[in-house]
Amino acid sequence: MPFNQVQSLSDLKKLQETFYDAIFDPSSNNIKQASTYIIGTEKISEAQRLSIYRDSILGGITAALTHIYPVCVKLLGEKYFTHMVAGYLKKFPSESPDIGNYGEHLPAYIAEFKPAKELVYLSDVAQLEWLWHKAFNAPSDLSSSPEQKPLSELQNISEQNLPLVKFCSVSSANLLTSLYPIQRIWQVNQHDFQGDHSVSLDEGGVSLVIWRCADFGMRIDELNEDETKFLSAVLNCASFGQIAEIDFNQGLDEIVQRCIQTGLVIGFTTG
Amino acid sequence: MSTSKYKANSILGAGLGLRSSHYQEVFNTKPDVPWFELLSDNYMAEGGLPLVRAEKIREDYPITLHGVGMSLGSADPLDMDYLGRLKTLIKRLEPTYVSDHLAWVSISGKHTHDLLPFPYTDFTVKHISERINQVQDFLGQEILVENPSSYLDFHSTEMTEWEFIQGIAKSTDCNLLMDINNIYVSAVNHDFDPYEYLQAIPADRVKEIHLAGYEKMDNYLFDTHGYQVHPPVWELYKAALNRFGATPTLIEWDTDIPDFPTLRAEALKAEKLIQEVA
Repeated sequence: MPFNQVQSLSDLKKLQETFYDAIFDPSSNNIKQASTYIIGTEKISEAQRLSIYRDSILGGITAALTHIYPVCVKLLGEKYFTHMVAGYLKKFPSESPDIGNYGEHLPAYIAEFKPAKELVYLSDVAQLEWLWHKAFNAPSDLSSSPEQKPLSELQNISEQNLPLVKFCSVSSANLLTSLYPIQRIWQVNQHDFQGDHSVSLDEGGVSLVIWRCADFGMRIDELNEDETKFLSAVLNCASFGQIAEIDFNQGLDEIVQRCIQTGLVIGFTTG
Repeated sequence: MSTSKYKANSILGAGLGLRSSHYQEVFNTKPDVPWFELLSDNYMAEGGLPLVRAEKIREDYPITLHGVGMSLGSADPLDMDYLGRLKTLIKRLEPTYVSDHLAWVSISGKHTHDLLPFPYTDFTVKHISERINQVQDFLGQEILVENPSSYLDFHSTEMTEWEFIQGIAKSTDCNLLMDINNIYVSAVNHDFDPYEYLQAIPADRVKEIHLAGYEKMDNYLFDTHGYQVHPPVWELYKAALNRFGATPTLIEWDTDIPDFPTLRAEALKAEKLIQEVA
């Protein structure tokens, strides 16, 4: 049977894997292999037909990543971003049918991307954009677990059981710490930003929480050292007893109250 | 007695593909659009703002769900997690129709997020028919399958695309979503008669039509969904309406998306032609 027949599942699998390789790793050998399946014409060769699909696929995925990482595109420029995505795709295939799940490893890839090595803050800015994307699409907290109790019931917990309490944060919350002023870099690169666009790296690092509050408003809040320690413990499911042993600069009650008031802490469990 | 939680559940006339840039206008003005199509793959998360918006739209309009993630033409097993999330979405939004494409999107668990061609053979008719039947059994409802645009042919192809669709229609009870722009684009790219294609399609299975604008490249047409519908596609659409009757029709516009009034004006052109055959 000629190589390019497709009369069984294994034939079809072979064709599709060959096609995939020619798209994402267009070496001359991969294109040659894929071309054996394809009818070329005088008007358009086999390789040109493959490149139509390649351009379409890379264009679609690049557009999706541009939507998730607009500030990185602005900082790198469209040309370099597109070039970077082509390399990223080869190293990190998309493993989900939902294109919105693709791009999680881009911050780490950027950290190793030589053409951008002078933009030392870029990987952290990318991480901020990914966490923003995750928070935007996070499930609503209305559907939280049945074990979660409202904060109003906290007063019914005996002093003896208080160390067992585990605070619950909004499900969209993620912490990000950077050595660079990434929140300012992110802000001045928003399309509607008005004001001084200059940012000095001497402004120093930040600790941030990226989250979506109950009315679906997106938030990036800067945290002080105590708030960072507290929220980090909450996100790691630490009990109140464990949190009480952390060395805070301020009183723990004050930190808890502030996180409840902002809406970051929304309930608790005693399990 | 209907158990639907929504008041409008059937689609008629010319609808629009809902894109995020138009949400606010739709929420604020509640335009006189008969129905919207939502891209199911954009609403498969467990929650988040997109899903809240989709439910808000659904309160006022009937909708269809259209996806690219089923990968019906793939040699991989069906992604039951994806289908499970689609089933949840269907329950939540109660679409009039659920559709996907006669194409493959993923292989060996790796996703391209694009619609890729496969050879039209007796084997692929059987393979894809079995998968459509599996999907329909799992979802508990019929789906519509759409013809994609294509830019290459395979040596191993044994039949035309319309013969392939006839084979699918014989082996399954799925319905068809005919993309008239795709037929025209493929006809130019592969040098076949698009009117012969239309004549071969089982008319009773066609429940929806898609229209879009292609881009003319140096030596082929490319289905960009980024332009107004071109005159030869309108002509082919008229022939399709004459053959299939007053079929609900959607204007797709996915790149360089215009303002809402421009999009609506395009849908009204289709609406006028639908009325002529109604």
